[in-house]
Amino acid sequence: MTFDRATIAAFVDGELDLLTAKRLEKALEIDAALAKAVEDERALRSKLASHFAPVIDEALPDRLTALLTASIAENVDDSLGRRRMERKAAMRRPALVQWGAMAASLALGLMIGGYALNRDGGYVSDNKGQMVASGALSDALDTQLAATQSGDSKIRIGTSFASISGDYCRTFESATLDGIACNADGAWQLRQTVSGEKAAQYRQASAGALAEAAAAMMAGDPLDAAQEKAVQDRGWKR
Amino acid sequence: MAFEQELLALLPRLRRFARGLTHHPADADDLCQAAIERALKSRDQWQEGTRLDSWMYRITRNIWIDNRRATARRGVHSDIDDGVMQIADDSHRRMEASLELNDVDKAMARLPDEQREAVVLVLVEGYAYKEAAAILDVPVGTLTSRLVRGREALIRELGEAA
Repeated sequence: MTFDRATIAAFVDGELDLLTAKRLEKALEIDAALAKAVEDERALRSKLASHFAPVIDEALPDRLTALLTASIAENVDDSLGRRRMERKAAMRRPALVQWGAMAASLALGLMIGGYALNRDGGYVSDNKGQMVASGALSDALDTQLAATQSGDSKIRIGTSFASISGDYCRTFESATLDGIACNADGAWQLRQTVSGEKAAQYRQASAGALAEAAAAMMAGDPLDAAQEKAVQDRGWKR
Repeated sequence: MAFEQELLALLPRLRRFARGLTHHPADADDLCQAAIERALKSRDQWQEGTRLDSWMYRITRNIWIDNRRATARRGVHSDIDDGVMQIADDSHRRMEASLELNDVDKAMARLPDEQREAVVLVLVEGYAYKEAAAILDVPVGTLTSRLVRGREALIRELGEAA
């Protein structure tokens, strides 16, 4: 009686039907070549198993566990579409609520209304309860083009775009404040901000959060260099 | 909640499976990362009460095989799932890898993909033929013939027991 490789393998894997397994076991006693083949298969199985076994006891990489623990913590639907809708819904909430939530969560370190707003080197001021860009920030938003700004500008302009609420908006970064400002009623209203301290610490996360926020506000594509220049020439008005 | 915890419990085995497929630890964890992300995104497709491990192994294997095919087609790296995962296949990484790999890794790496996945599922992960065939979405006969060819090659390369 001879057994093919598949049958020998199945025997070693415990996949052989009982009758054939018995026959093979019996043949092992008299067939040295068969016994050798079975031994080779068993040796391979144990070699592979012991080679990969240590992986089981390795510490799990943070980047993998973090995906799961973050998902547990959020306990939210992870789909991108859902997150976009939530962002859009958030954008429709009254501005004051947004400011409250942002001030709390991002520790802006600003006081709304009054002179305390000058903390960020005069970048922010209060215009009838609305936070608007002032001083150097306002100038940069008015005049600085992403394509031509100098590398050592204190304020860096990121993306400029037309928003779904019908005004032009620009993202900016500085040592003390990052954010999105939109031109309305002749001023740059601050729609989203992250304090510079936090932003520096979590540069990538804050840039990502602002980019996502900008994407949610955007009507169409960001302005290219020529469009940015043309809109600037019109004074950032729609 | 239970879903993520079950995935977490499964993670050591999933890493071992990925290590068997890609034979480079960083690539293996990239593969796991892509698989977890896809699983979290498509968790609705998993039916509670069915085996999460088979489902996860299938996702992992499909990402791996898609990437291998894309790589073979283009002859370059390809990004999977928003660039999360790159299975390095350029000569530099191969050379670097070959310095670190031992005989078992090298022999596994030389197996054709369809033999390697069959070998890993049955001989390393301990799946029954029927379960392994289901994960790979092939008939049991196809699985066993790939398994036999893979084993023959490995025994040839790694030396015999005696």
